[in-house]
Amino acid sequence: MAGKTIVVTSGKGGVGKTTSTANIGTALAMHDKKVCLIDADIGLRNLDVVMGLENRIVYDIVDVVENNCRMEQAMIRDKRYDGLFLLPAAQTRDKTSVTPYQMKELIEKLKEDMDYVIVDSPAGIEQGFKNAISGADRAVIITTPEVSAVRDADRIIGLLEAEGIHKPEVVINRIRVDMVEKGDMMGIEDMIEILAIELLGIVPEDEGIVVSTNRGEPIALNDKSKAGQAYRNIARRIMGEDLPIMKLEKEGFLSRFKKLVGLS
Amino acid sequence: MSSVFSFQAVTDGVLMNFRAGVSFEQFKSSVKLHAEEAGDFFKGVCLYINLTGVKITFSEMQQLMNIVQKYNKVREIYFTAQQSTQKVDSEGDKALIISRTLRSGQMIKHSKSIVIIGDVNPGAEVIAGEDIIVFGRIKGVVHAGAGGSREAKVAALKLNPTQLRIASFIARSPDDAEKNKLEPEKAYIKDGVITVEKL
Repeated sequence: MAGKTIVVTSGKGGVGKTTSTANIGTALAMHDKKVCLIDADIGLRNLDVVMGLENRIVYDIVDVVENNCRMEQAMIRDKRYDGLFLLPAAQTRDKTSVTPYQMKELIEKLKEDMDYVIVDSPAGIEQGFKNAISGADRAVIITTPEVSAVRDADRIIGLLEAEGIHKPEVVINRIRVDMVEKGDMMGIEDMIEILAIELLGIVPEDEGIVVSTNRGEPIALNDKSKAGQAYRNIARRIMGEDLPIMKLEKEGFLSRFKKLVGLS
Repeated sequence: MSSVFSFQAVTDGVLMNFRAGVSFEQFKSSVKLHAEEAGDFFKGVCLYINLTGVKITFSEMQQLMNIVQKYNKVREIYFTAQQSTQKVDSEGDKALIISRTLRSGQMIKHSKSIVIIGDVNPGAEVIAGEDIIVFGRIKGVVHAGAGGSREAKVAALKLNPTQLRIASFIARSPDDAEKNKLEPEKAYIKDGVITVEKL
């Protein structure tokens, strides 16, 4: 089974790379796929916390690269899905502890018995980013409807192309429908026009993300959350399904009223 | 195991002393076990094996040499014969005292005990050859007795570690742990499990 490696990257920090990695991975595992998430943010690891697996870490990616342990010893099995694993980053080291070549070798080995290997890239375009993209077959770029995030995403697309990773796809995160409708936020069409790449999905702004991140339970597990639905859709598109992009509508008076009286 | 040999810190490493009258078989098996458990703990330091009071044949020496090779990444291994009662270098002999809070990504490693006046935050790591005592909250990863000593203890004003390890044992805090109240506790190995009790 030779799986695909997907790098999740953005250039800009704080747009939701780690949250997206955790949720896309979880959503793929829901479809019985064998998935390994790799935290490439050595020195500032977060993916373990978002997945709620922090207290299970004994070995990390640097231990694997330095041959202090076997790969299987460092891989942490998810609490909820047997087919989902996390290879955590080291916290007491830095990005130079791993080279792009070592990373590529590690991913090649891991791919042999996984359907998907998803690499959570650190912010920036320095060595950590170069490590994260080495060995990637596909790239998912996360951006938010802000000029700065889109600018950085554009830069990343250029860098990926230079590395031979063509046709990256974009996920637009933290969209607020009310602001888009008022014209205060960049619209999806405007952003796609600038970036000129395929849209993999959109994720609406959701307060539930904060709660789920703090609890270590990816929001994709939550049936009621719109953001969770969005991530489940993205996972299905990654698996090759042709799903229409989610329609985001401002809540009308009627639906708000129904919510208020507990009808929906 | 610990009754067969003991450790003393010296200027550039560790001195292993053996109890007089131990048979070679006992001696061999305990060193073997220790070397396997120690892993990389003695990385970069010298290991002095004190053979005072131990009689060893040529073939036993060869076996011993094969065993001590298992100490990974040791700078150098010496066989010596010196009186273990002598005053050894004091530097590494003492507990290490840290008077600040350890933050995420910071790691403290010491071959003896470590005393911290401050907290150990999530993401920080403390690795000690002997005990770990924290006058504050432990929220990160602590490893006492990292060289394999099961007698090592961890004590803190609040024990809420991400992970607590003693020798080769690993435990983590219960998910429903009381997070804020200060309550001095210590952790040690009792009947082969890590046990926590109030101080």
